[in-house]
Amino acid sequence: MATSTFPTAAEMTEAMRLAMLRADPALSRFDPLPRIVSFDDFARGHCGWSQLVGNYEDTLDSMLPGYAQHSSAMLSTLGHWDAGSHGGMDSSYALKIATKPKPGAQNVAIKRHTFRARGPIRFEVFFTFKPEATELKLSETDVRSVGFLFDLQCGDRDGDGERVMPHLRFLNAENGRHIQKWQYKRETTALKPIGNEEKTVSHYHLAPEGWLDLPGGDQRLCYNEIPTKVNWSYLRFDFDLATMKATDFQCNDRRFDLSGFDSIRIPAMKNLWCMLNFCMFAETDAAKRAFLYVDSVCISGDF
Amino acid sequence: MLPENITAIIARNERWSGEAASEPYEAGWAREAVFFLRALKAPIGRPGKAFVEISPDGMRWVREGTEFDMPSEIDGLAAARIAHFGNWLRVAARFEDGAECTVLLTLHLKA
Repeated sequence: MATSTFPTAAEMTEAMRLAMLRADPALSRFDPLPRIVSFDDFARGHCGWSQLVGNYEDTLDSMLPGYAQHSSAMLSTLGHWDAGSHGGMDSSYALKIATKPKPGAQNVAIKRHTFRARGPIRFEVFFTFKPEATELKLSETDVRSVGFLFDLQCGDRDGDGERVMPHLRFLNAENGRHIQKWQYKRETTALKPIGNEEKTVSHYHLAPEGWLDLPGGDQRLCYNEIPTKVNWSYLRFDFDLATMKATDFQCNDRRFDLSGFDSIRIPAMKNLWCMLNFCMFAETDAAKRAFLYVDSVCISGDF
Repeated sequence: MLPENITAIIARNERWSGEAASEPYEAGWAREAVFFLRALKAPIGRPGKAFVEISPDGMRWVREGTEFDMPSEIDGLAAARIAHFGNWLRVAARFEDGAECTVLLTLHLKA
């Protein structure tokens, strides 16, 4: 007698989910976990990506300088002086995060959520970067870095009271030297009280100090041959909110070993429970604006 | 579907003097734009003059034609409404020697 080959209900559900995903032109290029938390294609506005504003009390002068330089991200068609609008992968628009034209200047866009279950979270992005095309040169060492981070904190009844901030950046160049490698961070700056009421502190976790090389993290990305040609790259970062550990990282065709990776970890703060924030940032190496363009972002979870 | 609109913070707590200009902002999706400029601190000297500027590429700028006086007192607010601007927008300002203003410049865009 032949054994049954009928799929289980769970197998059928997964097969149906994958079939629907792969037939959807907007989502087919992503590999989301079963539940999509948000899908941002930037043809429908900023999709909740706002600027990372620093903490302050009484006066904006109390904001740390790292945050004071941040400004609002914009919707861009990647319009270039010589070739016109480049456009996104699937629409005219991409999110653009632009620095000021000063060496070391940074800008950060943030999306602020909370989580309802401590399980796997997946962050997928199609991105590219270029410096402002102020020179008729390749300018491949003018962008210092682009990267992303999560800002997470446990629930108010969890016993492992930590704020956890995984950071990864692609260090493209530093002081004019072309480097091209992924780095992570374990340390932030000391917490600094803001104002006089003992209610607010601040720290600049994107300070230039403390970046560590991701083992095996050298990667040459597609940087095209003039400052106004760009190609979109894929990035995926998996993090488990249950263990507060990163589980996988991929950029284009490369998957990286995260056994040596860790996050910035600081004691839980008194008002950030279940925080689930996502940031993307750009940093310039030259006296020239650096642009991080994000075509689309898909954040998903298994819960 | 409701039309898109966004409030963008272009300059926050920046001290402007001499020849100043905001960072470029891309707004090609919007049909109308309003800049608000607030003096966050008491301006020093005579109020400067501000000019809305447009650009083909975010690097080379020409005056759009809209001008306004910078605020003359703390929390003073100036506004400029623009309806035809292509993609790039910024505000440039000019001050006499010794004059300055600490600004909050916001841009309000609507599709």
